[in-house]
Amino acid sequence: MDIFLQLTFSGIALGMIYAVIAFGYQLTFATSGTLNFGQGEALMLGALVGLSLAGGVMGGPYLNYWLMIPLVMLFGALQGVVVERIGVRPSIKTKNEFGWIMSTIALAIIFKNVAENIWGKDDLTFPSPVPAAPFQIFGANVQIMQVIVVLGALAMMLAVEMFNRKSIYGKAVVATANDSDAAGLMGINTGQVVTFSYALSSATAAFAGVLVAPLTLTGATMGTALGLKAFAVAIIGGLTSGVGAIVGGLILGIAETLTGYYISTGYKEVPGLLLLLLVLAIKPSGLFGKTTIKKV
Amino acid sequence: MKIQMKFKSLGLSAAVAAMLSVSAWAADPIKVGVSGPFTGGSAPMGVSMRDGVKLAVSEINAKGGVMGRQIVIVERDDEAKNERGVQIAQELINKEKVVATLGFINTGVSLASQRFYQEAKIPVMNNVATGSAVTKQFVAPEHAENYIFRNAAADTIQSAMIVEEAIGKRKFTKVAILADSTNYGQLGREDLEKALDKKGVKAVAVEKFNVKDVDMTAQLLKAKQAGAEALLTYAIGPELAQIANGMEKLNWKVPMIGSWTLSMGNFIDNAGKNGNGAMMPQTFIQDGNTPKRKAFIDAYVKAYNPANGRIPSPVSAAQGYDSVYLLAAAIKQAGTTDGAKVREALESLKEKVDGVVATYDKPFSKDDHEAIKMGMPVMGQVNEGRVVAAK
Repeated sequence: MDIFLQLTFSGIALGMIYAVIAFGYQLTFATSGTLNFGQGEALMLGALVGLSLAGGVMGGPYLNYWLMIPLVMLFGALQGVVVERIGVRPSIKTKNEFGWIMSTIALAIIFKNVAENIWGKDDLTFPSPVPAAPFQIFGANVQIMQVIVVLGALAMMLAVEMFNRKSIYGKAVVATANDSDAAGLMGINTGQVVTFSYALSSATAAFAGVLVAPLTLTGATMGTALGLKAFAVAIIGGLTSGVGAIVGGLILGIAETLTGYYISTGYKEVPGLLLLLLVLAIKPSGLFGKTTIKKV
Repeated sequence: MKIQMKFKSLGLSAAVAAMLSVSAWAADPIKVGVSGPFTGGSAPMGVSMRDGVKLAVSEINAKGGVMGRQIVIVERDDEAKNERGVQIAQELINKEKVVATLGFINTGVSLASQRFYQEAKIPVMNNVATGSAVTKQFVAPEHAENYIFRNAAADTIQSAMIVEEAIGKRKFTKVAILADSTNYGQLGREDLEKALDKKGVKAVAVEKFNVKDVDMTAQLLKAKQAGAEALLTYAIGPELAQIANGMEKLNWKVPMIGSWTLSMGNFIDNAGKNGNGAMMPQTFIQDGNTPKRKAFIDAYVKAYNPANGRIPSPVSAAQGYDSVYLLAAAIKQAGTTDGAKVREALESLKEKVDGVVATYDKPFSKDDHEAIKMGMPVMGQVNEGRVVAAK
């Protein structure tokens, strides 16, 4: 039993990371119908900038881990704005349906190359802000950092939801998400809302980066695999549902660790991807997604 | 007047050009290719190997080169990718016209690239790649001549040493094998299983993982549940560190005994205190226990100034260094840079080659292309950020 618990805990920690990144995909999809395929790279940049501020790679540490987080999120937000301005806005303007796919992928590759040149291609250790020794829950070992990852991810998503529901700016975001044209007619600057959603989305990813970094290794290539899996999570959970991102993330994370143990570590990614295929075949809008009807 | 000037300068430049080509012919350098990963997870090995090669080349050149000709190295970053290795092999052979190639860190890259050298009859000295198949790719009777040599400890030697340490010396009866899913890891796993078989032991768990995996919980739990008393590993630095750190996550600690990659800087640094005690076969340890080795270490540290005075991968540096001397001795004996003649010379080296790993006395023969024999490597152990000789 404790084995099962242990695997579940590890799966939850892994799945919440996927969920936060998937949440980032949803933010921009809601307002503009576009996705940032460089979400994994936004995470990687966040982690590396965080490491430069709170670790020793650039002559630091300049700040402690907790103070560094808001700065990293600010950096993430700026990076998101850059992606939106360069990669997404032109294709929204010209009503190009696919331009943003290529341009966000192109930007992702550029970001990765830049990171390789600044921080090198090697994996670096991210100093853990809390003791690494695990404590026990019902016989399963859990690290404090894993708990922080789960709580941090939930808090981040909750904060964004609260913002959308309670504040006037959030209402503009929701209005744009519901009907962009009508929102525009009501005097909402929908262009700005889209930019804002990209900033928020990349800030979320950067935040996820500094959360996950102490548990893994930090490096220019850390984001690619995570970004791809999170995309699968977003599809499984549905691109329009925050709950979907969490559930999808947990399903994928737990499926990976359980398969690794009970079936074979060689197949650990298969069940999650099978589920993805199943969802696409049966409910293409995702487990929790709203079905949208597109008129052609 | 103007025309005259032009003629004059033309004549002059022609004369200069003629002179240059004469001097170029007189000291036509010997071009040697160096292929290895200088970036990415295998970079500590690649960079150390390249720097070891450079050190030996500059020493030889300072003494007048080989046959009065200077050695020039053409280095290329294969990024540990098979397809890059193949491109580089073709470039080095057809464009750079190298006399021989030193290098290959990754068994997969080595196996993918060597075909081109074999076809072009250009010798290859594998100075780091350890896969058992590396030198066996073109053996008799299918191939009359084999152009592939090696001066690194083959996996058959390493796996035998790992198993001897775990089963023979430390008397463990239950061991788990953890290997990555690359050529390197899976070929190594096979060798480990064979070596265990010889001792009549079967691994209680055999697990694999991918490069860049961030969570080793499932693999480690399986080993733990099976009652493993030690982990035998075949992987590279970053993932090995994930294993060491993963054990801490599970509050479980058993000895790690594995292939020589446990000595890589990116394992030692990323695992930190969790890496202490990890044991691996080493052909060379940075402690300078003979004057020649000490001189080599001092020269390396002085020339390349590695962080904390620690060579990123001392084994690679030493084997890189020795590979140049082996090749130079063969070219000298052959009296030519013709590939076939150099291969023959390597297979029948008359002169003893004094390297930092060992003194090579007839290291190769027609059927044996392995310079490192059983008994040459020793066990090393990670201790506070350094590899020391195991007690």
